[in-house]
Amino acid sequence: MTLPANRMARALALLALLQTGVLAVMVFDRMRLLTSGREISLPIVPVDPRDLFRGEYVELGYAVGRVPARLLEGPPPLANAPFYVTLEKVPDGSWVPVKLTRDQPQAAGPDRIVLKGRSRFGRFALNAEDPNAVASVRYGIEQYFVPQGEGPRLEALARDKKLAALIAVDGSGNAAIKGLLIDGRLQYEEPLL
Amino acid sequence: MSWYRSKLERDLKRWQAAGWVTPDGAGAIRRDLDQSKAAFAAAPVLAVLGAVLFGFAVMSFVAAHWTGMSKLARLALLIGALWACYGGAALLFQRQLAAFAHAAVVGGIAVYGASIMLIAQMYHMEGNPADAVLLWALGALLAAALASSAAALAAGFVLLTIWCAWERIGSESALFGFLLPCAGAALMAAWLRWRPGLHLAALSLALWIVPLGFLVWGGHAHWLVVLIGGVAAVAAVVCGRALDRHLPVSAALFTYGLAVTYAGLFILQFLDDGRWFLGGADSAPLLRLLLLAIFSLALLLGAMVWALNTDNRPALWLAYTAFALEIFTLYVRTFGSLLTTSLFFLVAALIVSGLAWLAYRLHQSKTTTEAAR
Repeated sequence: MTLPANRMARALALLALLQTGVLAVMVFDRMRLLTSGREISLPIVPVDPRDLFRGEYVELGYAVGRVPARLLEGPPPLANAPFYVTLEKVPDGSWVPVKLTRDQPQAAGPDRIVLKGRSRFGRFALNAEDPNAVASVRYGIEQYFVPQGEGPRLEALARDKKLAALIAVDGSGNAAIKGLLIDGRLQYEEPLL
Repeated sequence: MSWYRSKLERDLKRWQAAGWVTPDGAGAIRRDLDQSKAAFAAAPVLAVLGAVLFGFAVMSFVAAHWTGMSKLARLALLIGALWACYGGAALLFQRQLAAFAHAAVVGGIAVYGASIMLIAQMYHMEGNPADAVLLWALGALLAAALASSAAALAAGFVLLTIWCAWERIGSESALFGFLLPCAGAALMAAWLRWRPGLHLAALSLALWIVPLGFLVWGGHAHWLVVLIGGVAAVAAVVCGRALDRHLPVSAALFTYGLAVTYAGLFILQFLDDGRWFLGGADSAPLLRLLLLAIFSLALLLGAMVWALNTDNRPALWLAYTAFALEIFTLYVRTFGSLLTTSLFFLVAALIVSGLAWLAYRLHQSKTTTEAAR
């Protein structure tokens, strides 16, 4: 069953348009997050500090990626579904997790921010009663593709220095890496396009 | 020479010798077969394969060489490639080269999937990787609907099944949401009158059903899988004639039902206790295993008889294979307790001989009634 050629051409144009639309929504959604999201900086806890920028992409670790299970409030998150971690700014300027919830809580004030996360190991199976249990959380800001040519420079800058990621967070808790801070100074900013 | 062709050659010789078919008639039958074979040419198949390979080539080339480009240039490249594929398809349709046009559509689907992955990489997106596969699958189904493309529909089924497996591993849930796109794709196969598409639908549905027992009601609901497959097979047996009046599906329904039923029984017997093949005789209560095994073997023998009577070759081979697998697994599983093994094979031998006797009697009564007419 094949359509006449001119109707087929129109159908294919519609197909190309719709698929382009899906890709455009992906890009615009990310651009909106990067431009209008709230900015916070999170210190990076590298797995291997000396080889951080050598590979094609690096795995960035964050202190806020380890959330004590006793912070869980309300029902536990569903398997493979996202949940929400509320961060609070402490006097020394860093952010610490204070609450883990299945549903998105209201973030109140400039000293609180909500991040959407997923359990690193798929299923969220933690006993909130156990005071030592820690949930390993991914916020979608853990994979970083090192920009071409920037690797050695960042590597040299990062040696024995304090590294942090500049993160943009939108109202739904989505987070994206906006840039890299070395010793508190913005050394690399992700271009939008 | 195909299996059908060689069988037909033998039959034609016999029919000609009996005087039922004239030499002219035999020649005409052969010519007709040769003509219908032309429709199954290699060119379209190779063109689609070429498009898939082309897609992979683009993906790996782009992934390896594009770090020097700006994000805007990369996006332009991806979207340009997407439009080039569909534009090329439109041009090929205009020139009546439908087979190559469909290959270009498949190429477009490959570029679309690559674009999703590469944009996710460019913007450091992580999220749930299975979602990206679902987005790709829906794009393939859209292409199938808009371009009436069977190849795109096949790609859609494959991607849906990958999404289902991935999402299930992550969420450890039954994923009932799979049924909706699967039903949509099956309807599309019916609308395109593409019979292999219906097989793909049945196959992906079967792949969804078989692991269901692990995912619902505490992970031990394999009897549910047996029940679903059994209902399908019994429906094919009971309402086969009524079904076939609309669309000849009862043979395939029986085969898929049998496959699902036996898969469920296999899991129930050998995988459900958390141990794999070499679990030793004490890993499951032996009586339960024995009863299930006898039930499975009797069921498979029944299926063989039905498949023979309805001339259903796929079901017959499936039942043979399942029978062999069952016997082999039982042997490995009960190995070590020799008494039980020998007892089991004694029981199996009795059942098979009993059924052989029954089949013989049935055959005899059939021939006597036919002779009496």
